[in-house]
Amino acid sequence: MQEFLEILGSAALYAAAVRLLVPLLFAAIGEIFAERAGLVNVGLEAMMLMGAFGGVLGAVDTGSAVLGLIIGVACGVTVAAIQAAIAINLGGNQIVSGIALNIAVLGLTSFLALTIWRNGNVPPVPGFGILDLPALASIPFLGTVLFRQTVFVYVAIIAVPVAWWAMTRTTWGLRLRACGEDPRAVDSLGIPVLGLRWQTMLIAGALAGLGGVFISLADVMTFSNDISAGRGFIALAVVIIARWSPVKAVFAALLFGGLEALALRLQTTNLHLPTDLLLALPYVATLLVYAGVVGRTVAPAALGRSYTRA
Amino acid sequence: MTVSDARIARIPGAAARTLLAIAGAMAVGAVVLALAGLPLASTFVSIAEGAVGSSFAIREWLTEAAPITLTALGVAVAFRAGLFNLGGEGQIYIGALGGVMIALTLTSLPGAVLIIVASLAGMIAAGMWGGIAGVLRARLGLSEIITTIMLNFSAFWLVSYLVHGPIEDPHGTRYPWTEEIVARAQLGSVGGVLPIVAIVLAGVTVVVWAVLERTGVGLRIKHCGLSQTASRFAGVRVGGVVLLAMVLAGSLAGLGGVMSLLGDQHRLSDFFAPEWGFVAVAIALIGRGTALGTLAAGLFIAAVRSGVDQAQATAHVPSSVAEILLGAVVLFMIIANADVVMRYARRVSVSGLFTTRRHAGIP
Repeated sequence: MQEFLEILGSAALYAAAVRLLVPLLFAAIGEIFAERAGLVNVGLEAMMLMGAFGGVLGAVDTGSAVLGLIIGVACGVTVAAIQAAIAINLGGNQIVSGIALNIAVLGLTSFLALTIWRNGNVPPVPGFGILDLPALASIPFLGTVLFRQTVFVYVAIIAVPVAWWAMTRTTWGLRLRACGEDPRAVDSLGIPVLGLRWQTMLIAGALAGLGGVFISLADVMTFSNDISAGRGFIALAVVIIARWSPVKAVFAALLFGGLEALALRLQTTNLHLPTDLLLALPYVATLLVYAGVVGRTVAPAALGRSYTRA
Repeated sequence: MTVSDARIARIPGAAARTLLAIAGAMAVGAVVLALAGLPLASTFVSIAEGAVGSSFAIREWLTEAAPITLTALGVAVAFRAGLFNLGGEGQIYIGALGGVMIALTLTSLPGAVLIIVASLAGMIAAGMWGGIAGVLRARLGLSEIITTIMLNFSAFWLVSYLVHGPIEDPHGTRYPWTEEIVARAQLGSVGGVLPIVAIVLAGVTVVVWAVLERTGVGLRIKHCGLSQTASRFAGVRVGGVVLLAMVLAGSLAGLGGVMSLLGDQHRLSDFFAPEWGFVAVAIALIGRGTALGTLAAGLFIAAVRSGVDQAQATAHVPSSVAEILLGAVVLFMIIANADVVMRYARRVSVSGLFTTRRHAGIP
């Protein structure tokens, strides 16, 4: 019990939780833009995985982590463009195309990894190191948790208010939310519904790609098959639990990231806990919290509905 | 969503469109193989030979086809009720867990009885597991897309925990898995070619077809898939149908898990069904949610997977090519059906899936 309480009070645990929640948060914020505009994007997982792969490919080939990041994000955007073309222009079922993309990208990334790096032996990856923020890093506890992290964490801290502002305080944000509720009304005002939806899907792809790049270039520092490990699906749950708000998404992602960090930390103790069962805890907890928000979530009315003038 | 998907099962030129999509995916596959520097013609021949080139190949193909196609039949039943069962993988593991508990403990039973009891145990366990998502959808309106994914991970870690400790092989083998099940409970093949699990698959396909097309239960399932509102006005207990569809989906996937256990793996591990749930969803989609279509799609996809697996050794074809092809077939199917889909697209929304209300308007 003593040891357990020590773990609960340790800054290292919360720093790990932040690292685990950041990729979820990026993907969830992107998905919130898309869903607010009426697009449901089950292919989020594919975009993260492609981003994680592209990041490593770019970083290894150019020797630069920053160029790797750009290439990884571009990979996420490319997958998003396929999803956008099918969901927005062809009116295809958005859930079906997302599932298809997940399978195709899972195969594609492991195929490419095998072909490019013989037998999947990924060369050493120039990744992102820890960047202590001057002054802030020396704050007791909080400094270790939030300000002795990679640059991604700082970008995430800024991204949340920016996303909130863009969505609720700009004309663009108002229009995209209207696209998710009543695209016909938006169209009747001469505002291009399909163009706005394209923008949000590409944003979702870029942010999911960024989340993937974080996993491969700032956390694990390599690529392995299925490295995103279902994070894209967790992000979908985070979006609903957060009721489509980027600010609440922080707390929803923290629920998952925090429990996962705790489970991983408890694995290394002498407490003789059933560690594999503990690893199920974040998923069970997410399910319970999802059940707990019953009656309090209302999805955008036109979510998943294709728009045509006909 | 539900409206368009149910109607896609009955669009003009359906089979031709599917074949067109497969041809498109083959073209993508050819490009991928060419990029990897593999000679096209001989690689395709190696894959075809690996799938059906010998009696060994045919047995491997059908043994692989049975579990994923059984799971896909479950996905198809849910699909016809308007539900996306992404939980196949978790249901397979829970089914195999139920089966292995029986196969390892009731070893004094005669072979045939043991096999039947193990299969039923797997189906009941996985049916209840699928039923969790069904109850959450019917009573609370929670999206089965989210809940089944969470249940997948929960099932995986549960099985992982069990095979790393409580039911791990006490004789200490190389991997974390259970003891081998007794020989009497293992399902072989007829004449070295036709695996018994494939006969089970054929029989179950006929049953699923009959239930969907020839019974009142099937009618109510399809009715809910077309329109829950209309079903409610017609006096159908929509919540009950949703729950039933998820229980059926779970038990079919669970039977798939048991068939893999008895006919192929002979032990329970936590790594025998990677991504099978998603593969099953793709198969059910290619089969347009019908029993016979799903069987055809399952046999085809399993042939590709098993052919590529064999060609991995003979012609250095990476096994991931099969997943690229599978994803591409589904994407091309959406494109090949775009003209029809567009006609229904505007009426279709998934908003209800992600809106949680008590009882979700279901009486």
